[in-house]
Amino acid sequence: MSNVSKSPWVIHYDGSSCNGCDIEVLAALSPLYDAERFGVVNTGNPKHADILLVTGAVNAQNTEVLREIYDQMIEPKVVVACGICACSGGIFRDCYNVIGGVDQAIPVDVYAPGCAIRPETIIDAVVEGIGVLEEKRAKLAEARKGA
Amino acid sequence: MELIVSLIMVPCVAALLMLVVRVDKARDVLCVASAAVIALLSIAFAVQNLGAGSLYFDLPMEYSHFLAVVNIVIDITVGLYIVCYSVKYRRVLPLVLAIGQILTTLWFEYNIQREVQFESQMHVDSLGIIMVLILGIVGTGICVYALGYMKDFQAHHPEQKDRRPWFFALMFAFLSAMYNVVLSDNLCWIYTAWEVTTLCSFLLIGFTKTEEAINNAFRQIVMNMLGGLAFQAAILWLGLQGESRLFSEFLKTAANVAVADPAAAGVFVLPVALLAFAGMTKAAQMPFHTWLLGAMVAPTPTSALLHSSTMVKAGCFLLIKLSPLFLVFPVASAMVVLIGGLTFCLASFMAISQSNAKRVLAYSTIANLGLIVACAGVGTPEAVWAAIFLVIFHAVAKSLLFLCVGTAEHHIGSRDIEDMDGLFERMPRLARFMMLGIMAMFVAPFGMLVSKWATLASFASSGEVLLLVLLAFGSAATFMFWGKWFGKLAGIAAHEQNVELSVHKSEWFALALMAVLTAGACICMPTLSNLFVQPYLVVTYGALGANISVDNMYIMSIIALAVVVMLFGTLDMSKSKKKTVPVYMAGITVDSDERLFRGSLGGEVKATSRNWYMNELFGEKVLDKPATIVTAVIMVVGLVASLAGSQVGAENFVGTSLAMYMPLATMNEGLLQTLLGIVLFAIAGPVVGCLLAGLDRKITARMQGRVGPPLLQPYYDVRKLIEKDDVSVNTVEGTYITFALVLTVIGGGVFVAGGNFLMCVFLITLSALFFIVAAYSSRSPYSEVGADRETLQVMAYEPTVLFVAVCMFLALGTFDVAGVANIGLPMIVVCIPAFLALMFVLTIKLRKSPFDLSYSHHAHQELVKGVTTEMSGRTLAKVEVMHWCETTLFLGWVAMFFIWDNPVSIVLAVAVAALAFFLEIFIDNNFARVKWQKCLKWAWIVALVCGLANTAWLVFALIA
Repeated sequence: MSNVSKSPWVIHYDGSSCNGCDIEVLAALSPLYDAERFGVVNTGNPKHADILLVTGAVNAQNTEVLREIYDQMIEPKVVVACGICACSGGIFRDCYNVIGGVDQAIPVDVYAPGCAIRPETIIDAVVEGIGVLEEKRAKLAEARKGA
Repeated sequence: MELIVSLIMVPCVAALLMLVVRVDKARDVLCVASAAVIALLSIAFAVQNLGAGSLYFDLPMEYSHFLAVVNIVIDITVGLYIVCYSVKYRRVLPLVLAIGQILTTLWFEYNIQREVQFESQMHVDSLGIIMVLILGIVGTGICVYALGYMKDFQAHHPEQKDRRPWFFALMFAFLSAMYNVVLSDNLCWIYTAWEVTTLCSFLLIGFTKTEEAINNAFRQIVMNMLGGLAFQAAILWLGLQGESRLFSEFLKTAANVAVADPAAAGVFVLPVALLAFAGMTKAAQMPFHTWLLGAMVAPTPTSALLHSSTMVKAGCFLLIKLSPLFLVFPVASAMVVLIGGLTFCLASFMAISQSNAKRVLAYSTIANLGLIVACAGVGTPEAVWAAIFLVIFHAVAKSLLFLCVGTAEHHIGSRDIEDMDGLFERMPRLARFMMLGIMAMFVAPFGMLVSKWATLASFASSGEVLLLVLLAFGSAATFMFWGKWFGKLAGIAAHEQNVELSVHKSEWFALALMAVLTAGACICMPTLSNLFVQPYLVVTYGALGANISVDNMYIMSIIALAVVVMLFGTLDMSKSKKKTVPVYMAGITVDSDERLFRGSLGGEVKATSRNWYMNELFGEKVLDKPATIVTAVIMVVGLVASLAGSQVGAENFVGTSLAMYMPLATMNEGLLQTLLGIVLFAIAGPVVGCLLAGLDRKITARMQGRVGPPLLQPYYDVRKLIEKDDVSVNTVEGTYITFALVLTVIGGGVFVAGGNFLMCVFLITLSALFFIVAAYSSRSPYSEVGADRETLQVMAYEPTVLFVAVCMFLALGTFDVAGVANIGLPMIVVCIPAFLALMFVLTIKLRKSPFDLSYSHHAHQELVKGVTTEMSGRTLAKVEVMHWCETTLFLGWVAMFFIWDNPVSIVLAVAVAALAFFLEIFIDNNFARVKWQKCLKWAWIVALVCGLANTAWLVFALIA
């Protein structure tokens, strides 16, 4: 286990969620679940974050915003789609303005379903994300060595 | 002797030739040639007379009468010239003053001087040599610069008649007069040359002949002629009393009589005060500072030559010469010290509110002159050592800055600091020169700050409580106004067009010369001290004045060299292979180079930011009037008291001026020891700090009813950050942060080694500056807000830290931390107020709520992270490590109060430090962030009350 997995800093973006999942994301970060036990810290700054938690589907308004946040994050980085809307558009997928899940805008690494998503699922997803993060880190380190 | 004559005559001849030459090419050649000759003569003169102590040169007696006539002719001509101008522009006051001056001169010549043989004696000592070198190298360098500048000036002002011959003639005539001021020993000659410099300044300020220029020129002449009249009155008084009118003779006699027979020294009370008054008008001290501000309408080389590096230094020169007398004439001393101190503090405050670069430079000049004046007024060898170094460094650094602003103005079309945004790329070389100049003005390891350090030490050792207060707050303001300008320059926004390709060669030459001198003077400070400054003090006082140990000066030299290399080594940013990423603007980036983004309201917005000016606190409107009134009252009281003292009860007006005198002890400042300290701190600082940071998070979690992260979590965070991709928003940010980290470690090392506490403080301040500049360099809106706030925080806590140092000195007799182990009782016993103040600002220094304005270590969820917004990966890791080191160091400062010669006390000290840290965590978790106004207000109130109370108490105890 490298240091990446001991210190996953997350950033949270609300796409067009009904707020159900947002509340759960924040609940998972509240003292009750004490995510800081695992080094999780909720940052507000994409340049500092490792894991992007997105709630809600993407639409024409927020695609670029999401992409901006994603681009601002420094490699290695992981995206977790939190809740069914973020995964696929959920019950809103047929709305005229909804494009679909988060993966329509940026690459998603972990899909965490639920309506609303439960805090336990979020924590599971983050742990899953840490694994992906680890892989990406290893790749980056190799690329660095090669260069 | 021939050298002296040629030093005065060559510029004189050059001035006359300048009037005749009308062709550009010929003028270039002539100007460069005369500048070279003058510079070489000055250097030859310095080499010849170096180390010779105090030398007198007599002109042959047969010339004496002729010279007396020349002197009086020049004097009268100057007067008539002013009369003519006053009539032409219908100004009454200058007319009256000029006529008064002419009449006094004639009366004096006819009645008193006639019987006396005109003494054409020249006097040279090390101070004179320093002034000659400044004039010969800096002065002529500026003349060369003026060649290119005036070409552009003429091109920018096509409506003006080409009066360049006149301009250059005045510049050289001025140099000649200045040589006369610093080399003559006859007061009448000094006075004449003094008036010539006033006139030259008058004509150069009015050079453009606009209404504003003429008004300002007349303001200058009125104020300086008041000083001139005081000078004349002093001569007259000495003449009437039958005293010698040789300056050196006067200084010697007055000092001897005052010591031997105070009652008989009444004769000298008034002339000392009058000469001090004259010096202060020339040095633009409040309430006469407005002439120097007005003088900024003159072409920039004039401002550089007359109004920063040389003419105003004539005033300082006179005051420094008088300083042995200030030791024994308390009224004059008090007047000079108070005016100088107030001027320093208030001018520094007002500089914050200015956005015009030349006005900032003007205020900073006034402030620094104030500091020099205050040092001269204190009069101890230590203070004079500091004053002379201030003169040297100010001359080179300020002329560098003026010349930079002049060149920038012609190429970006503005002298407003806001328009210098991104100069780092638009004029890469010039911006770095300017940054060097700015750093040289206000941070260690550069000259001005090292001199200020010496100043602080000398004020502390003579128990000048009020001056210490003024110095502490003035210095804090200095950090603010230089820091924000520095940040503006450092911003890197886009691949901007380089506009400095058309800068004239002569300008580059002068700029490079000043930059080399600035850097060189800083790096060679120990040598300068040994060769020039100490000899003067030995001759004048029979004592060495340096109160900064040579080892510390060497450390400063090394750091100065490193900073210069860093600044100019990063010149070509295109070579760097570092990957860069766009900045974060909390919107959709449209064009990162242009800082253009689409915000939540739609539409494209350009992110810009302006410096802070805090007009409601430090504006001219708020401060100028009270400052003028208070200083005017002090001057009037000083002069009236001196007049009274010369009439009755002289013994009450003569005697020692110093409240106390405590020599400075140094210990543990050796290079090797410091090096060991640095190694020790480099290991222990981060380790302890990391554990403390972990503990902090653990305790915070417990306070919220959580388990919290592992103790080593901060370490894991940093390791992770190092493993992140190595990118940043520009190629220099990482370098600045590395420097900041290294400086923190060196500062900590100095502390751990038991070295000089002030040195430690200054290194930490420099580190803070680099941290701030790294944020400014990103030119990102959120970083800049953080940087502004960090600058404010430094300004808020700086006075307290300086007070802690002063109290430490007063309690221990040394600024060295090792001193705490030599006392029978811990420092806390006599320094409770200072300790409380330190505890107060500790919250700011550790960036804990409620004072975590610039960025917070706890509020991770914050949308933007202030200073660190644009930092990522390794850079952020370095910031984190720096923060660990800072935590360790600051707790060390707290612990220092509880150590005495008992080894067990270390346990107590550690316990107290731990307690202080827990208290900080408690405060952090229980108070909400406040506005910056509150942070500044409370930090300063606490500093003022606690600092003043504690220093006054300690000084009082020492006297009693």
